[in-house]
Amino acid sequence: MTWYLIGGIFLLGMWGLLSKPNMVKKVMALSVSNSAIIIFFVYHGSLSGETAPIEGGGGPMVDPLPQALMLTAIVVGICILALSLVLIYRLYLQFGSLDIREVEKKAWKLYD
Amino acid sequence: MTEQLLPVFILLPLIGGALAMTGKLFRPLASLFRLFSLLPLLGVPALLVLTAPGVFSGQTLMVSLGGWPEPCGISLVMDGFAWVSAVLVGGIGLLVALFALSWPKYDSTFFLFYHLLLAGMYIVVFTGDLFTMFVGFEIIALAAYVLIAFEKTPTGLVASFKYLMLSSTGILFFLFGIFLIYRDLGTLSIAVVRDALAEAGGIRNTRIIHLALASLCVGIGVRTAFIPFHTWLPEAHAYAPHPVSALLSGVLIKISYFAMVRLLLQFGGAYLFDLLLWIGAVTALVAVISALAQSDAKRLLAYHSISQMGYILAVFSAGSAVALTASFAHALNHALFKTLLFLTVGTAVERGGDRNLYRLKPGGRQTPLFAAAYMIGALSISGIPPFNGYVSKNLITLGMKGSPAYILLWITGFCTLASFIKLSRIYLPGPKAAEKNLPDPVREDVKTIKRPGFSAGAAVTILAALCLGTGIFGFSAAGILHRLFYGVKIPVSLSLFSREKLFSLLPTVGLGIAVFFLVTSGKGKTLASRIKNLAPNLETVLMLFFTGLLLFSTAAYLP
Repeated sequence: MTWYLIGGIFLLGMWGLLSKPNMVKKVMALSVSNSAIIIFFVYHGSLSGETAPIEGGGGPMVDPLPQALMLTAIVVGICILALSLVLIYRLYLQFGSLDIREVEKKAWKLYD
Repeated sequence: MTEQLLPVFILLPLIGGALAMTGKLFRPLASLFRLFSLLPLLGVPALLVLTAPGVFSGQTLMVSLGGWPEPCGISLVMDGFAWVSAVLVGGIGLLVALFALSWPKYDSTFFLFYHLLLAGMYIVVFTGDLFTMFVGFEIIALAAYVLIAFEKTPTGLVASFKYLMLSSTGILFFLFGIFLIYRDLGTLSIAVVRDALAEAGGIRNTRIIHLALASLCVGIGVRTAFIPFHTWLPEAHAYAPHPVSALLSGVLIKISYFAMVRLLLQFGGAYLFDLLLWIGAVTALVAVISALAQSDAKRLLAYHSISQMGYILAVFSAGSAVALTASFAHALNHALFKTLLFLTVGTAVERGGDRNLYRLKPGGRQTPLFAAAYMIGALSISGIPPFNGYVSKNLITLGMKGSPAYILLWITGFCTLASFIKLSRIYLPGPKAAEKNLPDPVREDVKTIKRPGFSAGAAVTILAALCLGTGIFGFSAAGILHRLFYGVKIPVSLSLFSREKLFSLLPTVGLGIAVFFLVTSGKGKTLASRIKNLAPNLETVLMLFFTGLLLFSTAAYLP
């Protein structure tokens, strides 16, 4: 059940990415999908044991590797998110619109 | 012992980036620090020479970082493929940096991200596990987004955003593929995954890993830019600053392609070859037709990058050992001549202040060195002897022998020639009077220098000399590559400059000239502008991406 729920979050993000013309919404949708993948890893890791992966905690520990990997993935995701918001801000200053269709139309008209 | 040198490859560009940023602290010395930041890159050739004996004797150098052995730790691996890729990154990276050095508008910040890009590429080349490859790809991507939008032109910003959306979506699926592999096999080390798959009787027996490999290929495919994932490339490569275009087209798409080749060969992805063969051939043809239709000089070159990637992919998928060598030889040659073309055409665009090749004033008389270098690049990419494109196209013919897709590549050959005849007018010797109209470069603001300096000239001269050198000694170079990959002598022989070979070029040249006149005729121009307007917007780009994803996943589950 949980697997399908996480898959649903992923697909929700993909739907937003495809159907929303607003650039901010597109980036947020991408971030939602990214989170879904991260939850995939963490949930899979959590099935492997019962306690936090600290020595002497008692009980079987969970696999620490997925958590470690996902810390990195989260950091990378934040970087991309921040950069894309900066780009959107710059684009808004240049074109006065957040609608990607309008922005693209104006941009390619500038040359050629 | 030499395996301890592998982390240094990644460390050197990072030191370079730090040095470039130090220039920001001491403003008056900033240009000096830009020069210093290139010094670490000079260490790369030394490292390559030191690691060469081990690699050429067939060893695989391997080192685990921080003393954690596989499968938990991060390990760096260097085999023949990685060594060749490192030669590519090190060589072209240094030459393009030299070119950028002569334009003051590329300041310390530019060089910081430039070095970051190089470091990311070394990570992807040397990594021994999938997750580190993901991190490497993201470092590359971050640096590339910033560099594409570096000049803050409106088109650059849009191109960067489009690239960001598409490649982030691609890398999401890459991460998903990593997840599937971790879930089923509990490890991410490429070598361990390979052994586990071999134990399970090959990838065809493990249904989930199919999907994983398809996701990985799609994720890397976006960076490699073959149809249907190619749509970001024309804009990103055309509207980026010129050195960045050169580096992206020359090296970056090759690095992701090499990563894909590595995964496919290690994980036994031979069942995807049929699909990749046709994708490659169709990519080559469709992209070259789009290129013929362009009037923007750099956009034309960007479409040619896609087209040449099509060649490289198609011949790799032919599957034989010679085909793999031909694929790598063409990838390396393409890196040389496409970097050269982007640098020289970029100089012409910079000097003329216009990107449209019909409006750009011919400048062969003002910058004769660059005109000559451009001609060498154009002849190379069109496959005219004695330059290197001719050699690798002959190797491709050998590698593709008997494949029905070869006819598409042959058509691509003369269309390439036609579009470079079209582009050549920007470097024709123009009227003499044009010289006086140019503003005096000394009196201009430093930020807007329009003429290339000494180091730019040196960079293009070296590149042109390499194009000629690898053309004349091309077959021996391919032999060395083959020995490096397989440890045996290349099993074919090729007399490149025999009379029959040269005569067989005649139809290609004739058809190329014919296509050139067709394209520049009135009807051809109407058709061209219609094709030009087909350039897809972001919605279409994403739809194409999902179509490609579906294609690859279906191919995985076909018997």
